[in-house]
Amino acid sequence: MTADSPQPPPAEELAPLVYDELRRLAAAYMRRERPGQTLQATALVHEAYLRLAGAGTPWHDERHFVGIAARSMRQILVERARARGAQKRWAELDRVSMTDALAVAADPAGTLPALDEALTRLEEIDPEQARIVELRYFAGLSIEETADALGISPATVKRRWALARAWLFRDLSGPA
Amino acid sequence: MTSDQRRRVRDLFEAALDRDPPAGAGSWIAREAADDPVVRDEVLSLVEHHSRAGAFLSHPIVEQAADLLLDEEPLAPGASIGAYTIVREIGRGGMGRVYLASDGRLGRTVALKALAPHLTRDPSQRARLRREARAAAALTHPGICTVYALEEVSGELYIATEFVDGHTLAEEIRSGPRPSAGVVLQTAQDLAAALASAHASGVIHRDLKPDNVMRSRDGRLKILDFGLARMDEAGPGAGHREGGRVPYVTQPGVVIGTPAYMAPEQINGLAVDARADVFAFGVLLYEFACGAHPFEGSSQLAVMARVLESDARPIAARCPALSGGVADVISRCLKKAPAERFGSAAELVGALKAAGDAGSAASPHATWWRVHQIVIAMLHIVAATLAWQIKEWIETPLTIAIFLALGAAATIAPVLRGHLVFTEVMNRPHLARERRRTGRATLLLDLVTGVLLFIDAGMIAGTRALPAVFALSLAIGIVMASIVLEPATTAAAFGSDGS
Repeated sequence: MTADSPQPPPAEELAPLVYDELRRLAAAYMRRERPGQTLQATALVHEAYLRLAGAGTPWHDERHFVGIAARSMRQILVERARARGAQKRWAELDRVSMTDALAVAADPAGTLPALDEALTRLEEIDPEQARIVELRYFAGLSIEETADALGISPATVKRRWALARAWLFRDLSGPA
Repeated sequence: MTSDQRRRVRDLFEAALDRDPPAGAGSWIAREAADDPVVRDEVLSLVEHHSRAGAFLSHPIVEQAADLLLDEEPLAPGASIGAYTIVREIGRGGMGRVYLASDGRLGRTVALKALAPHLTRDPSQRARLRREARAAAALTHPGICTVYALEEVSGELYIATEFVDGHTLAEEIRSGPRPSAGVVLQTAQDLAAALASAHASGVIHRDLKPDNVMRSRDGRLKILDFGLARMDEAGPGAGHREGGRVPYVTQPGVVIGTPAYMAPEQINGLAVDARADVFAFGVLLYEFACGAHPFEGSSQLAVMARVLESDARPIAARCPALSGGVADVISRCLKKAPAERFGSAAELVGALKAAGDAGSAASPHATWWRVHQIVIAMLHIVAATLAWQIKEWIETPLTIAIFLALGAAATIAPVLRGHLVFTEVMNRPHLARERRRTGRATLLLDLVTGVLLFIDAGMIAGTRALPAVFALSLAIGIVMASIVLEPATTAAAFGSDGS
């Protein structure tokens, strides 16, 4: 991301590394986790960074890594949700109509493929908003951490995040 | 929208959110973007959706669906789990992977379900699984897959059950042709009997669906996975537990089940009883009979919305082959209010038996209908024979043509009527449809035969009076039988709608 460093390998080459590490860490994490706790995505990403950075992988810095990790998380989770959905007849469909009452009962994993497709549409209009959603929703970063990773102000992240959520919610609510 | 317009939408949206107080944002936006209706409408729509989005995306996905990350490597064939040796993986479900395994101690083949770690981490969840395994192991019915053991091997939980070699009803629904009404009835009766046996032991399935019902190679049905069941408070032995109350093993408000098969009260997170299984049974049978879901929708959420708010698509319209009795049973299972459904699977068994009896016991009047069909078929043959005789007496182009026409009618009419009699005896539910298909042709054949015989009678009236009278009577007889008698015997045999 910074102009003076050597060109990093493209994201597609790095993603599998991140992918494997995140998967391994998540499995280990879930095993030792205490009941009632929830898995913190941020902690996972941070730990994956420390391990991979220690192994001499060519990241510029944690910021660069976090962006790739968020994207990898999106890929992993959406693929898994798709693989699972393929076994269920009712999860094959791409668009989700959402009412407030049902959103509560909805299985987030089941709606993930639809969200992924909506996010891809958003990406075409505004890549920055899509990055924010990846960092916030898939990597679990806070507003401040997201701002840091993208090099913009927290206030801007907060506004763009609100816009992205409204846009995605509308897109997923079906044709207006 | 141009990129300039997009930027303007973004800036206006963000400015609108920053406004204090937020009330009146609508008119502010309308003023700010008065020059560009496209931008104005887009901003208003986004602000409106922002206000409705609630908690949408506000919790990172990993916190809600951690198990998505836990896609464990499957156990390899030959691996040992305690006394079991893995043969191969045979399936995957919400609870974990299922393997075909051999039990070294008894030398038998079992299905070994490795419970997913996210289900077994919590000691209270482990306790719940143990209770459920115990409840399920108490069920002994040929229609229920037997639970052999709950095994704990190096911290992981495994459930060993009977191995059912066959296919699931889900596969049958997806691949097969639609089953006959007889198969639907038999399937319904077998399933209801197995459910009733479990309900009588105080065990509710709570996740009955086509994936959880297997048909073994010898054709028998087995319900799998009483894994989400809980001991019913009113169940036998309830008085001996914890001061007379059996604790709910699932918390009220926690939704458990497969969305497309959940009863309304289950979707709403309310306490459920045997009647939720009755609802799921209705959905399953509907889908099995018609190949389509009664609350079909474009997504899980749409299906759940229909389950909560709309009536099932009428089964009679979707699946006309089904007998009225079975269709009524299924429709009653799908009622929104549990009180309007059958109270238990035992009641369901009774209703299905009644529906089966009504379907198989042919009305005594059906005999008259059959006799009628056979007699008319024979009259057509007599008519053709008579036309041949008349042609022999007076050979003109007209009598030859009439003989040929009646000969053809004497072939077609008995085939059609024989087909109806066969359908009535062998495949009763399809009779109404077959009658509709052939009704016009049989009527037309009868009328044409009557008219042609009448003409033939006229041809010989001057020379041979007796055969002429016979031909005339036959013509009138066939026409009257077709117009007056047939509707009467049909109505007597099958009711006024003829079904």
